[in-house]
Amino acid sequence: MKDGAFGRLRASLSGAASIASGSSREASLVVACLVATTVFTLASPWFLTIENLATVAQASVDLLIVSLGMTIVLAVGGIDLTVGVTMAIASFFVGKALMIAVPAPLAAFLGPLVGLFLGAVTALTIVVGSVPPIVATLGLYGVFRATMYALLGGEWLSGLPNVFAPLVRPTVLGIPVVAFELAGLYALAWGVFRWTPLGVWWLAIGGNDEASQLAGVPVRRAKAIAYLASGLLAGISGAFYVAQYRNVEMTTGSTIALDAIVAAVLGGASVTGGRVSVLGTALGVILFRILQNGFVLIGVPSLWEQVVAGMLLLGVLAMENAARLRALAIGR
Amino acid sequence: MSAPTTRLLGLLALWLILLVVAAIALPDFFRASTVTSVLQFSTILALVTLGQSLVVLSGGGGIDLSVGGVVSICGLAMAAALQTGWGAAAGLAIAILLGAALGLVNGVLVTRLRIVPLIATLGSGYVYAGLAIALTGGAPIGGVGSWLTGLGRGLIGLVPVHFAFLVLPAYALAVAALRFTPAGPWIYALGGNETAARLTGIPTGRVRTLLYGASGLFAGMAAIVATAWFGSARPNIGQNLELESLTAALLGGVAITGGSGGVAPPLAAVLFLISLKTGIQLANLNTIWQVGTIGLLLVVSVLADRFIPGGRRR
Repeated sequence: MKDGAFGRLRASLSGAASIASGSSREASLVVACLVATTVFTLASPWFLTIENLATVAQASVDLLIVSLGMTIVLAVGGIDLTVGVTMAIASFFVGKALMIAVPAPLAAFLGPLVGLFLGAVTALTIVVGSVPPIVATLGLYGVFRATMYALLGGEWLSGLPNVFAPLVRPTVLGIPVVAFELAGLYALAWGVFRWTPLGVWWLAIGGNDEASQLAGVPVRRAKAIAYLASGLLAGISGAFYVAQYRNVEMTTGSTIALDAIVAAVLGGASVTGGRVSVLGTALGVILFRILQNGFVLIGVPSLWEQVVAGMLLLGVLAMENAARLRALAIGR
Repeated sequence: MSAPTTRLLGLLALWLILLVVAAIALPDFFRASTVTSVLQFSTILALVTLGQSLVVLSGGGGIDLSVGGVVSICGLAMAAALQTGWGAAAGLAIAILLGAALGLVNGVLVTRLRIVPLIATLGSGYVYAGLAIALTGGAPIGGVGSWLTGLGRGLIGLVPVHFAFLVLPAYALAVAALRFTPAGPWIYALGGNETAARLTGIPTGRVRTLLYGASGLFAGMAAIVATAWFGSARPNIGQNLELESLTAALLGGVAITGGSGGVAPPLAAVLFLISLKTGIQLANLNTIWQVGTIGLLLVVSVLADRFIPGGRRR
């Protein structure tokens, strides 16, 4: 188990390679999606209808964006519990701007800007203050929630003007343009992990923080960028949230942090860092949303969503770890 | 001056600042009934914080984010049992045993399945809290007997019965156990260096599992007090307890990395936090401000350890 610092760094870098080569994880997620689709189709005549699939796709948009940020943060061995409330605050500013008739592109731009700012607060606390990520983001979650309350003043924004439609609705070859925007974001993230030093640094840090430092990785800078990226993406999802639902309230984004962790872990991300799959996260989001939708259709009340999400998270990790511990035992 | 003494003096200073602010801004704060009210609220958080402190002390990324869910579900289980005609002893036992069992589940997830504590207890916490909501549809379970509300609302002078007979003995026992039994050195060794602890023959996995079990057990006791005091079990009663108990533990000087700190200062931190919450409540502010302030305190308490001279560096 105990190899040298460089051995471990190399081991964690081989994790980076697995992103490119693709693994059985992605394949099994596709199979899982197909199996779930088949089961739910047999169980409910509504599941495989255009309307229902569109609902699943729509419900996946904000989660796809937030999960990408969570994937990056998990890669460096961190966690970000503020993503939901960051998304909410960003969507508040976007919504408020629309109410006072700020031009749509400018208003949309406020989302990522606010996200980036809140991400900077998180990054500063974790990197400069060296507060452990779970403590920092749990505390900041509370602070941001109070901020959101102060902003909303106990009310909610609703009936926001439908000016974002041209950014998401038009279809190309029958596919809504939002799908291409999401694919672009994922391709960008995949490229960063695959081809840039930053991506390699992220995985190296998650694999072994100290060894990376010794190997000359700018650990603090790379970590800060990871939390900035998480905030930025949560902010972007805030703009998409407004485009889609045209209202903002206290409960906006309240469950998305856990959902994003579940999706990334389903997708093959290690919760201790150093191993993620960008494509896996996307498939994880889709599988997770299919399951949520399917359970509702076969009559499981939506109150059970939280229970299902938690069980899914623990179940996947328990199976993964059991397999790994068995493999270790055989190797010995 | 020893570290715990400094910590207690620091908390006393914070508390005095709070009292000065309250004296200026909140004329209603200075009443005998405030003392009772603060102690009433403190019992629930104090019991949960004791478990949280022990789990964090044992290191290895130890944290229990499921405490809120455990409190909610234990309260409901007890109220449901009493409603269906179970006796008093059985009702109390079910809350405590269920709490311990749920805590042991966390322990197994962490030590046997090797899931990092924060993810294991985040996940199980969602399951427990989700079950509490899903099984009841969000409705409280009421109708507990007057013997129970007597326990929840009884006073000895200004001090609530449950504070005198649960919190003080529990903390006294914990302090004694850390000081005079092998459990103390074991837990500190585990928090300092797990590999070294294992090599010296400490059953690290078992100790850690039991500490998560203890955290669940204390949460079960907190559930009894909450149900007894309010006269009914609410499915969301444990909300935010993970944030509050972690803040109390760290504000009380337990190192987030484990291995250093004690359990007495966190009790002082609980009293401070509840005084603060009471002040916010008396000022007629929304409860979200309690969450915001406590979140800020959590971050600041760790930052202060890093940057204030003489504070802990690591």
